[in-house]
Amino acid sequence: MTTNAIMRRILLWGGMLAAAVAVIGGIVGWIAAEGAGVASALVGTALAIVFCGLTAASIVLAFKASRGQMLSGAFFGIVLGGWLVKFVLFIVLVFVLADQDWLHRGVAFGSLVAAVIGSLVIDCVVVATSRQPIVDSDADDETQGRPASGARA
Amino acid sequence: MDNATTILAEINGNIGTVGYGLAAIGPAIGVGIVVGKTIESVARQPELQGRLTVLMFIGIAFTEALAFIGIATYFFMTN
Repeated sequence: MTTNAIMRRILLWGGMLAAAVAVIGGIVGWIAAEGAGVASALVGTALAIVFCGLTAASIVLAFKASRGQMLSGAFFGIVLGGWLVKFVLFIVLVFVLADQDWLHRGVAFGSLVAAVIGSLVIDCVVVATSRQPIVDSDADDETQGRPASGARA
Repeated sequence: MDNATTILAEINGNIGTVGYGLAAIGPAIGVGIVVGKTIESVARQPELQGRLTVLMFIGIAFTEALAFIGIATYFFMTN
């Protein structure tokens, strides 16, 4: 299984987790604050899943942009630049949402934490169960003609 | 001083911004270490690039989870 396939599986399972957390959070939110609780659970879940999923999406995009070369400016520019932009957006969204009267903060926070921890569990499970070869088959390309470390001429 | 509770300094604003600062320090250092060590490792053994990328992703995911929860805690739970 390639790195891209692993990231895609993480995104797919993350989507399923989002649905599960939204349903459970929605039920808890309805019990806690009826309509506002359901909306808060959906907001919290969406925030967590979208922003956690962006990391995996940025790695997929970065691999495409850098043509499979990890040690390139494009790769780290996209992954770390995406990380920075993501956090700026997250802070702005949370800053705006925190002042909304319709938001039940406890429900939103609870669903956000549940979704974040759930996405971490998914990341670990997917990586642990993926059958990724230890040595990349494209190693010759990555060394750009030079022998890989440890290789004898 | 006649009053033991004299105000020495007063700060106005949202305490959440201080929380953001605190929540950003740890993950920023963490991501820096994760990415730096991954670059170091790939430079030593380019053939391990695929596996190291996935492990780097796990490291970034854990550090950013801490930041998300930290930032959300201050903004959602302080008002």
